[in-house]
Amino acid sequence: MTMLLEPAEAAPAPETVIEVPRSIDPALPISDKVFFVVAKGIGISVLVIMGAIGVFLGLQSIPTFRRYGFSFFTESSWQPENDVLGIAAVLVGTFTVALVAMLIAFPLALSAALYISEYAAPKVKSFLISMVDLMAAIPSIVWGLWGFFLLQPKAIHVAHWLHTHLGWIPFFHVDTDPNAAPWAQSRYAASAFIAGIAVSMMVLPMAAAVMRQVFSQAPIGEREAALALGSTRWGMIRTVVLPFGRGGIIGGTMLSLGRALGETIAVVLIISPAFDIKFRPLEIGTSTVSALIAGRFGEATSAQLSALLTAGFVLFVITLIINTLAATIVARSRSGANAD
Amino acid sequence: MTVIMDTSSGIGRPETGGGSLEARNISAWFGSNKVLERVSLDMPANTVTALIGPSGCGKSTFLRVLNRMHELVPSARLNGEVLLDGMDIYESGHRITETRKRIGMVFQKPNPFPAMSIADNVTAGLKLTGTRISRSDREDLIERSLTRASLWKEVKDRLKEPGAALSGGQQQRLCIARSLAVDPEVLLMDEPCSALDPTSTRRVEETIHEIRQQVTVVIVTHNMQQAARVSQQCAFFLAESGTPGGIVESGATKDIFGSPVDKRTEDYVNGRFG
Repeated sequence: MTMLLEPAEAAPAPETVIEVPRSIDPALPISDKVFFVVAKGIGISVLVIMGAIGVFLGLQSIPTFRRYGFSFFTESSWQPENDVLGIAAVLVGTFTVALVAMLIAFPLALSAALYISEYAAPKVKSFLISMVDLMAAIPSIVWGLWGFFLLQPKAIHVAHWLHTHLGWIPFFHVDTDPNAAPWAQSRYAASAFIAGIAVSMMVLPMAAAVMRQVFSQAPIGEREAALALGSTRWGMIRTVVLPFGRGGIIGGTMLSLGRALGETIAVVLIISPAFDIKFRPLEIGTSTVSALIAGRFGEATSAQLSALLTAGFVLFVITLIINTLAATIVARSRSGANAD
Repeated sequence: MTVIMDTSSGIGRPETGGGSLEARNISAWFGSNKVLERVSLDMPANTVTALIGPSGCGKSTFLRVLNRMHELVPSARLNGEVLLDGMDIYESGHRITETRKRIGMVFQKPNPFPAMSIADNVTAGLKLTGTRISRSDREDLIERSLTRASLWKEVKDRLKEPGAALSGGQQQRLCIARSLAVDPEVLLMDEPCSALDPTSTRRVEETIHEIRQQVTVVIVTHNMQQAARVSQQCAFFLAESGTPGGIVESGATKDIFGSPVDKRTEDYVNGRFG
């Protein structure tokens, strides 16, 4: 009671005014609120699913890491029946296949993207865009069959030629006599090289699409500036389009690298499994993490299953890191930002 | 006027004077939409010609026809001739890159190459046209071009900074310096001051005054006072309801503003429409 009756002048006027920003009600209409909640929910669920996969794989890996420790990364053979297993060889194989795939896909994707965005006439352009998109729609099993039945008989001759002429470089060496006639079941078949070609066809459309999109966003003002100075079209591309698209080139390449690392079925069809650590992609036999999992999953005991899931976990972490790096590079570059 | 062109590079050309440009019966289309009809205009050497008129009357299209930028739009077509020192630039056998080098262009929106330094922006035209230049010549050229564009004093201590770090007005003057560095005979300017503040606008106008001894200037502007200030001759473009654009009246600037013959010109220059 007395508090309420206290006279107003009893409160001394504050010397300094402490300003607190007032709260502002965005006053969104109901439709915006609903959209916001739904979009946020779906966005979060993507992260939750992603996280759940990681946590699941991580938990499944614990027994394997406990049992084999760091030797899981250094052991090359995979003999669960002898209690010896590790992913050294399959990791090397995974990266070899991916490297071959990127060596082939990168120049093709870059040239395709440049041709489509810079040179092709409008009608040809839309046709080519849909053809490249169609390439992405071909199931990987089909690429695998193509690689095995159509590509391999031709590619062994290329591998033989490379071995004959560049065999002194360790990367192109094959452990066989280069003068022996190459026949279908020779040492050149079922190699990381052939699997890599098939994988390159699968990752090419994604790389080309990302690159084409950033190229077409290169500012028209800068393009015209270059041309008005008397530049050739190629000079303009080198000065304006490629620097602008650098982020997209790197990002698109790394996104496809992430996919190339995980590609399974085409690799399983083409390679003949081998578990030695080697950097000779032209030679028969290799294995990748995903091919290992696909090949051994059916007859695995629970301990073996844990080991396979651990291999999967390692691949998951690697591709996650690569894709995050790619996304960061794209976002940081000018081509990722909304250039005016 | 006869200019003996060193066609291998414009760099050795003494800064004696600009080229004369003459448009004959230029018609232009975008798809089936005709935007210019039989426009003829003589742009004598070492004069500043202003193209004025309301929006959408085809003056920017006309300007872009003059250095073959028009044909960059896939559906764009044209008819007529553009004579640079008496030679038709559209004649087959004339290399488009050479034509564009001789007829430079400054755009409405400043468009320096943002990743390049200020110095590299100035010499970008040389690099793009494959013109080699010695290091000391390069430094001379950078200073001379920036001075001609009245930007040298402001940037001489930060030539290594990226071109994008400059203010809008400075960027536009950098673009002018970049165009001047390849030593064009004609410089086309498409509303070069429409994105600039009054101070920058004044400096660009001063630049135009200074360079016209060496370069023929054709400028598109929406600003009547600017046209009156910078130009010696003037062409008034108009596209009346649904018809392609054309020149209503052209002549000495003082006549166009002082004693226009056509009623529509008089209305426009006195701000009664447009």
